[in-house]
Amino acid sequence: MKISPIRKAAQMLSIAAMVAVPLANSRGISVVSGSFYSLTIGPLTMTDPIIALQPLLATLNLDWGLLATAFIPAGLALVLGRVFCSWVCPQNTLSELFDVIGGKLGLSHFLTPGPGTLIRYSLLGLILAITLLFGFPLASLLSAPGIISTQTARLIYEGVVGLELSFIGLILLAEFFVARRIWCGNLCPVGAMLGLFRWKRTLRVIMSEEAGRACIGCRECARACQLGLNPMTGNLAPQCHNCGACIDACRQMTGDNKPLSFRL
Amino acid sequence: MNNIPLRPPGAAAEVEFLGRCIRCGRCVQICPHRAIRFAGLLDGLAIMGTPVINARKNPCYLCMKCVTVCPSGALDSRVKKRAQVRMGTARLNKKTCLNWQGTFCRSCYDHCPLFNEAITMDHELRPVVNEKKCVGCGVCEHVCPADPAAISVIPGGQG
Repeated sequence: MKISPIRKAAQMLSIAAMVAVPLANSRGISVVSGSFYSLTIGPLTMTDPIIALQPLLATLNLDWGLLATAFIPAGLALVLGRVFCSWVCPQNTLSELFDVIGGKLGLSHFLTPGPGTLIRYSLLGLILAITLLFGFPLASLLSAPGIISTQTARLIYEGVVGLELSFIGLILLAEFFVARRIWCGNLCPVGAMLGLFRWKRTLRVIMSEEAGRACIGCRECARACQLGLNPMTGNLAPQCHNCGACIDACRQMTGDNKPLSFRL
Repeated sequence: MNNIPLRPPGAAAEVEFLGRCIRCGRCVQICPHRAIRFAGLLDGLAIMGTPVINARKNPCYLCMKCVTVCPSGALDSRVKKRAQVRMGTARLNKKTCLNWQGTFCRSCYDHCPLFNEAITMDHELRPVVNEKKCVGCGVCEHVCPADPAAISVIPGGQG
């Protein structure tokens, strides 16, 4: 079964929910409320781990209540990897869309970011350090899914959007013209933080040539990866967000005996 | 601390609030009166994305819903009753207040959610703010017929 159609359905559902929740809230239905910063479904509250960590750093006051709400997103990342990024995050959906459009237009990028993790973790450290030093929750202002969802709500409520949205435009322009998928792959602090929640059993793409599964070396998997990773080398973490595009590409070439698959 | 904005009920003292608030906008979304708004970039980077109330335009009616949805404790969930709220204190300008200038008016007195407690009428039927009881919701500022309002909330930033 192809992964892509299911994932795209999840992405569409996520965007639909982003519009439906404020609409329902404005009509007094608040079973589900919140945004991609923090979301409440019935009795369950979930908060983005990096967002939940900020008040602790900013005020040096430990609030277990808030940290506990990061448990579900962190646990999800621990088991399934960064599926929030690839299956839910509206910024990734937008970036993917623009990447496909850019590809159709034959756009070539000024630079292609490599699979290194240095920039990713330095930036995450810098953002958290600024929060600690200045008591200022910087990651909230840099959370692309948070900005998109709160500004969508604002558009529904007030009919206007804030200047914050220009940040999203900036990301898309940079990815379109300068460096391919640089935000999700190398810069985003939300994704970097989620990527920290992983261990040896976290869901990942692996290449296995046992039981008659042979890699034919077509490199279609690497071509399919928007983040510029090469599944044939085996080590994709922490950039890989389990979108499954490489597995779909592999299946197309080698059928059901594909060497690439998700494995816990 | 003259320029601090009016915050929703239960807000911690301003510096603490700025550290605790995660800019998630949940209070903005839940507010049934559209009183709570996002501060924008033009209000300053430090407060961008935080919830603010413009009482003259749209005051807080003390429904206390925002306090229950705040995930970060920036709005203190222990503040449950109206009387516990300390958003600020109303100040009355006797020079522009219609009543103090001789025109009969009791808009602020009538509309105050803490009726006859936060705003009382003195023996000459002129409104007087009881600073110990006033929670700073800004309803009086909203309904004041004088222009500019003769009564306005001085944000206290103390819950």
